[in-house]
Amino acid sequence: MRLLKLLMAAVLTFSISGCYKIRGSSGGGQTEFKPPRKINSSDIALPSGYRIEPVATKLTFPTGVAFDEKGTPYVVEAGYSYGELWTTPRLLKIEPDGKTTVIAEGGKNGPWTGVVYHNGEFFIAEGGELEGGKILKVSQDGKITPLIENLPSMGDHHTNGPAIGPDGMVYFSQGVATNSGVVGEDNFRFGWLKRNPEFHDIPCQDITLSGRNFETKNFIDPDSKDKVSTGAFSPFGRKTSSGQTIKGKVPCSGAVMRITTEGGGPELVAWGFRNPFGMAFTPNGQLFVTDNMYDERGSRPVFGTGDILWAVTSGTWYGWPDYHGKFPLNEHDHYAPAKGKKPELLLARHPNYPPRPVAIFPVHSSSNGLDFSRNPAFGHAGEAFVAQLGDEAPTTGKVLAPVGFKVVRVNVRTGIINEFAVNKGKQNGPASWLGTGGLERPIAARFSPDGNALYVVDFGVLLQSKKGAEPKTETGVLWKITRK
Amino acid sequence: MKKRGLMAVLLASLLLQTGCGSARRGEPIAGPMPPLTPAVAKGQILFERHCSQCHPGGEAGVGPAITNKPLPGFLIKFQVRRGIGAMPSFSDEHITDQQLDDLITYIKALRRHG
Repeated sequence: MRLLKLLMAAVLTFSISGCYKIRGSSGGGQTEFKPPRKINSSDIALPSGYRIEPVATKLTFPTGVAFDEKGTPYVVEAGYSYGELWTTPRLLKIEPDGKTTVIAEGGKNGPWTGVVYHNGEFFIAEGGELEGGKILKVSQDGKITPLIENLPSMGDHHTNGPAIGPDGMVYFSQGVATNSGVVGEDNFRFGWLKRNPEFHDIPCQDITLSGRNFETKNFIDPDSKDKVSTGAFSPFGRKTSSGQTIKGKVPCSGAVMRITTEGGGPELVAWGFRNPFGMAFTPNGQLFVTDNMYDERGSRPVFGTGDILWAVTSGTWYGWPDYHGKFPLNEHDHYAPAKGKKPELLLARHPNYPPRPVAIFPVHSSSNGLDFSRNPAFGHAGEAFVAQLGDEAPTTGKVLAPVGFKVVRVNVRTGIINEFAVNKGKQNGPASWLGTGGLERPIAARFSPDGNALYVVDFGVLLQSKKGAEPKTETGVLWKITRK
Repeated sequence: MKKRGLMAVLLASLLLQTGCGSARRGEPIAGPMPPLTPAVAKGQILFERHCSQCHPGGEAGVGPAITNKPLPGFLIKFQVRRGIGAMPSFSDEHITDQQLDDLITYIKALRRHG
């Protein structure tokens, strides 16, 4: 009888764990899509008392929205998507009938990742996959003036933001070049390692390495049968040693920086982020960022790290590439991939212990653009509304079901996350996966100037397979949520 | 008798693998949660901190759904402490026994909701 009880416990436990290793991935992008994209507000569920409607459709890779003094919305289209698909980055005015007017166009240096409007001008983050990141100032008649150029954004992640601080300065962020500090096969697959074989992560201050190196094939030279060894914060194929110092400089990777509205050299605000995509200030001037956490890929894969909402304190290091929140990546078995060892730490010394996260989002949810509700008439004043692009499985790691593809609200005092706008259905997922006309991949959320409406930027269809990303043009949507 | 017991175990296993209905418990789908007792409220904060990353809102994500399966509390505790499969283990340094009780109370409340 005791044996039976033990057997029961073993079988039931096996059932709970779902035998992760033998199950395939079932991400939201792992589906098929036949254009045109269906649009149907009634396929989206909201809390009682709210409604949602499409404002503009057939956008190509939209990433951000801003408003002028009259409350007119403007959208930026990225001009680039994972999957190495290049289009033209554009700033579009959204007319009352949903039609668009082009205000400005960029070159082949996307993705434009966000926009903010301030004192009659637009400020745009140019991701800079080919030429390096930039912050652009754009007048209402479309004249583009770069405020800063050559930001280190030619890797996995780009230049993001911007946001205008209470000091009137332009805050922007820079994502890191790699997944977890080491250039490897995943970066070759993404496309940039072949273009820029010397590119790597740059620390903001001097760091001392533990000297871990990672052996791989020589992806840059396909004819070579030799293996190469690559260390942290170094170009592909360059070995590092214990105690080696890597000089820090600004601009750098994985950081929040700021410049004046007239440009000039960047000033470091905080660092140790991975991909701080979303940025927003609260009405009392506190900066929050959403930080996309590690993937299970490349030479140093990391399992099970949810995206983080941080309250940013100047001068603080936030843990990348050795921590997830307050926990080091070699903590017990928490971050060991299914087919590998737990990550070893790359830094011999850490600048500080990372602060406690405000909230932790689901693993691979790609929690991105955010804004704070300010108007009690809309509700949930003081809470952060966050757009979740959704998983990019299997490229970034395996999931058993789609993760993200929704808008959530966060109580920044308790860290409790509640769904706000999701697709209807027995399971969660993007509209293309569910076969409905609802949300696809929300990437930004921003309130109108009067706080009565929450606009949601929906990037559109981005499929994923073992070959990588397959973005679909003219599938992006701008949604608007209001009280009934 | 042993055969019957084994059949029951296998049936329970199948039931747990497939789940029983939708795991969705979020406000837009299932409505707002009723007022929380202090233990449930504490458990909710712990759930956000430790569980929701892999089981978003109790649904499947990196891990399987846990709100649509009739898991007894002792089994959830066993899984949390031992970390079988891809799930990491959580020692009492991470989650104390009292916190684990609060966590289970919240998971059960979430399961009943919706």
